[in-house]
Amino acid sequence: MIQVVVTQMLNGAIVGALYGIVALGVTLTFCITGVVNFALGAFMVLGAYFTWWCHEVAGIPYIPSVFLAVLAVSVLGYLADAGLFRFTRNHLVNGLLVSIGLISIVEASVLLIWTATPKNLSYVLPGVIRVAGISVSQIKLVISAALVAVVAATYVGLTRTWFGRSAFAYAQNPEAAMLMGVNTARLETMVFVYSTSLAALGGGLYASLYSIEPSLGGFYILKGVEAAILAGVGEVLGSLAGGVILGISENVGSIYLPSALRDAYGLVFLILILLLKPAGLFGGKK
Amino acid sequence: MKTAIFAVALAAAAPAVTHSDSILTICIYAFLMGALAVSFNFIFGLTGQLSLFHAAAFGLSAYVSVLLVTRLHWGFWISLILAVLAAVIVAAAVATLCFRFKLREFYFAIVTMALSEILRLWIQNWYELTNGTLGISFVQKPEIWTPYGYITVSSSTSWYFVSLTILVAVSALCWRLQQSWVGRAFSAIRLNEQLAETMGIDVFAYKFLNFVLGSALAGLVGVFYAFYTGFVEPDYLSVTQSLDIVAMVLLGGVNSVAGPILGAFILTALPHVIDMGAEVRVILYGVVLIVVILALPKGLRSLVGRERHAT
Amino acid sequence: MTFLKRTAFGILLAVAGVSGASAQAVVKIGQIEGLTGVNAYWGFMPSQGARMAVSEINDAGGFQVGGKTYKLELIQMDTRGEPREATVQFKKLLEDNVQFVFGPFLSNVFNAIEPIATQNSGKFLMLAGTTAAHARLAQPNSDFLIRTYNWDAGPGGFGTLMVKHLKALGAKKVAILYPNDALGKTILDLYGKLFKEQGIESVAETFEPGTKDFSAPLAKLASYKPDFLMPGYSDAVLYDIVRQATESGLATKLFIVRGSIGPALKNKDMIDDYIAYVPKYFEGAEKTDPAVKKFVEDYKRFYKTEFPYDQAPLCASSCYDHVYMLVQAMKTAGTVSDVAKIRAALVAQTYRGLWNYKFDDTGEAVFSFNIVHVKKGGDIALTTVDPTATTAK
Repeated sequence: MIQVVVTQMLNGAIVGALYGIVALGVTLTFCITGVVNFALGAFMVLGAYFTWWCHEVAGIPYIPSVFLAVLAVSVLGYLADAGLFRFTRNHLVNGLLVSIGLISIVEASVLLIWTATPKNLSYVLPGVIRVAGISVSQIKLVISAALVAVVAATYVGLTRTWFGRSAFAYAQNPEAAMLMGVNTARLETMVFVYSTSLAALGGGLYASLYSIEPSLGGFYILKGVEAAILAGVGEVLGSLAGGVILGISENVGSIYLPSALRDAYGLVFLILILLLKPAGLFGGKK
Repeated sequence: MKTAIFAVALAAAAPAVTHSDSILTICIYAFLMGALAVSFNFIFGLTGQLSLFHAAAFGLSAYVSVLLVTRLHWGFWISLILAVLAAVIVAAAVATLCFRFKLREFYFAIVTMALSEILRLWIQNWYELTNGTLGISFVQKPEIWTPYGYITVSSSTSWYFVSLTILVAVSALCWRLQQSWVGRAFSAIRLNEQLAETMGIDVFAYKFLNFVLGSALAGLVGVFYAFYTGFVEPDYLSVTQSLDIVAMVLLGGVNSVAGPILGAFILTALPHVIDMGAEVRVILYGVVLIVVILALPKGLRSLVGRERHAT
Repeated sequence: MTFLKRTAFGILLAVAGVSGASAQAVVKIGQIEGLTGVNAYWGFMPSQGARMAVSEINDAGGFQVGGKTYKLELIQMDTRGEPREATVQFKKLLEDNVQFVFGPFLSNVFNAIEPIATQNSGKFLMLAGTTAAHARLAQPNSDFLIRTYNWDAGPGGFGTLMVKHLKALGAKKVAILYPNDALGKTILDLYGKLFKEQGIESVAETFEPGTKDFSAPLAKLASYKPDFLMPGYSDAVLYDIVRQATESGLATKLFIVRGSIGPALKNKDMIDDYIAYVPKYFEGAEKTDPAVKKFVEDYKRFYKTEFPYDQAPLCASSCYDHVYMLVQAMKTAGTVSDVAKIRAALVAQTYRGLWNYKFDDTGEAVFSFNIVHVKKGGDIALTTVDPTATTAK
């Protein structure tokens, strides 16, 4: 039995890392541009499909495919920001609706081009590692490592580089940052584009684990938002932790209670945190 | 006010002109959605609380009434009252939870969304009672007493007038309350909660009242909606449904009672007016939404006539 | 002002709607499937096949009934899988005097429009593949309905045969893993009974629709040590379940009654056995059956795209063959509008097209199918079962 629990925790942690990368995108966008970008789910779908296309149709090896997909989605993210989200800064509800509109467009377009048939990537790094009766697939371990690395790199970037620190400063006091010479418009755009590329990365990595369909974005953005709030909005490392905690609580809850209610366990946990510690598990030191 | 009366008169005359059943159907859905949007705006537009629990109240009352009528064979009207009561009780619990813990705008939205999802999952999984995702399909219809005897509301024309009446009643109630001192207290809370508190307004009590009343109205609409469609399913409580309502309200404009109705009409009729391939329709829906939000941040209502002063 | 504009627009729409009835010799077929949305998978192939058939018949000059030539008009509605949407669309079809409706395949859509359909019984025919139609056929006043898919149980049913096949392979315990929704519950009940009849023990776990990570339910089921895993029900989940089950070694013997063999081929070195019910194994049939070969080629030419082998089996329901069957029934009955006669003719015929097709006494389809047994390494053993040859009428 202990093996089942540990396997579930591991699986939950890995799925949670995916939640975490989306959560990181959510948290960065919210802090800097003042909106919750639900369309990150749509960018994740695009990242997944572009990776699939590069790998399966164009025959490009996996890692370059992911890289190309992230690049392509970043460009689209830039266009979305310049054309749409630039006008919704700090206007939560408008940003929400533009996101919903964008999601409809992206999902329907993907459906139009690639149909509803789920797509599968040819397996990258198949095989499992078995330790003490617990088996974890190799690709999952590699992906988790990659995600952790990206989040860590983001954290380092935010705390050590000048750009990162100006972003921090801006999040805390926009006027002061502007007075200090930070080009706020460019900052906002860059953060927005960066979060779309995070989502695209998540999508590209997701594609190597599961079959992809246009609706995966909606599911993940919800989890990403949950994880971001759980951790406390604005916490970079926390969003990864929040995602992992969410993933684990869902999977472990499913062992003892009906799997069909798996989503509910995460939600209950989220509500408790919001009621008892609204700043999130790791937040509150502003 | 005059425009409103004129509009209602025109709407009441419409069935005499058009005999198309599908047009009447679209209108009926638009009226019901309009009432739902108005009741949402009662919460969102007045006290500024973005409640994503609205669909849950809508769906919960629908289920309660349908279950009472189909399983226990109780009458429609008693089931309606109990269903709205159920929505009131649950909304009261949600409001107490959220407002006692003083949840701010965004977190309030997330918690209401989470609670709505939990309720939906619970209903979906209580298969023995609710039939799960299969939903409950039924033929019973409401009966209305008139001086000419009982009328069963089953034809499109009768439903047209019933739904129009509900829209008018809900809109009139919300508008009246908005104009009264209760409405002014709500607006004070929206504009500056702390200031309202210092001015002696019991913020908790007013937010509570506002949320419960708005949700009760949503439940009322839910019952009629379910009985018109003859079908109820867990998706009535979905987050997508709540977001659709938000879209309607924002499209039409939050500063009036007519705005949500306008938004509801457009978003309900739009999918049926665009006659292209399925995916293209959805793309167009998204484009329209984005264009209106960005070009008209105050909603379509701002295009037409003056806005009432911000109460 | 807006209200006036709105009403004027409404009047315009009304006028447009009323003038829709055409006076030409056209027979209208309406199709209500979900073409977009999460369940778009089920509506895709029926929509493609029907469109092709209608186009073929019209290009050949139409068909003759009672000395008059008719063409077909296909009105395809996208329900998006939403019952509410379907209600409006279905009412519109009936209003447009459409007498033949193909679909729906989705149970929740069917449940929503069923009361309206019953109310209008006698004015139209509905050819639906949905599982929910089976129960409806057993109820009175179901003359408007014909079910165009095989039923699992019953004399022509594939479920009983599949389970017997499994028993012959020595299975004693089967683990069932199905989504927690309408179809899932139906299949769970159905197969729980079928397994019991054959003396096979079964345990079941459900998962929330939309799940991608099945490690939890798979682990739970593995602890019962079953011989076979029966996952379902569409390729969307099958690919992931099969991959995760075989990768971790939790289950390598699989039994499929809804879905294709695609997941087996993708994981062919990891599975031990993969036994699937497939309405038609198109890759194999293409080589042996000239009708299938022609269909595949015509499809590629018509749509200028690859042939969707994975989805083609769904053309067993309210699809290509059925347009031809309907036309044939109209010819036999000598009418294009007397739905009672047409139904009688339709249900009485034996059709040989892509499938060998018949209907039983209640109006439910009985057609030939394949049992595909994929072994480790990808070898395929095919068994063809033709209940139309054995079912007495």
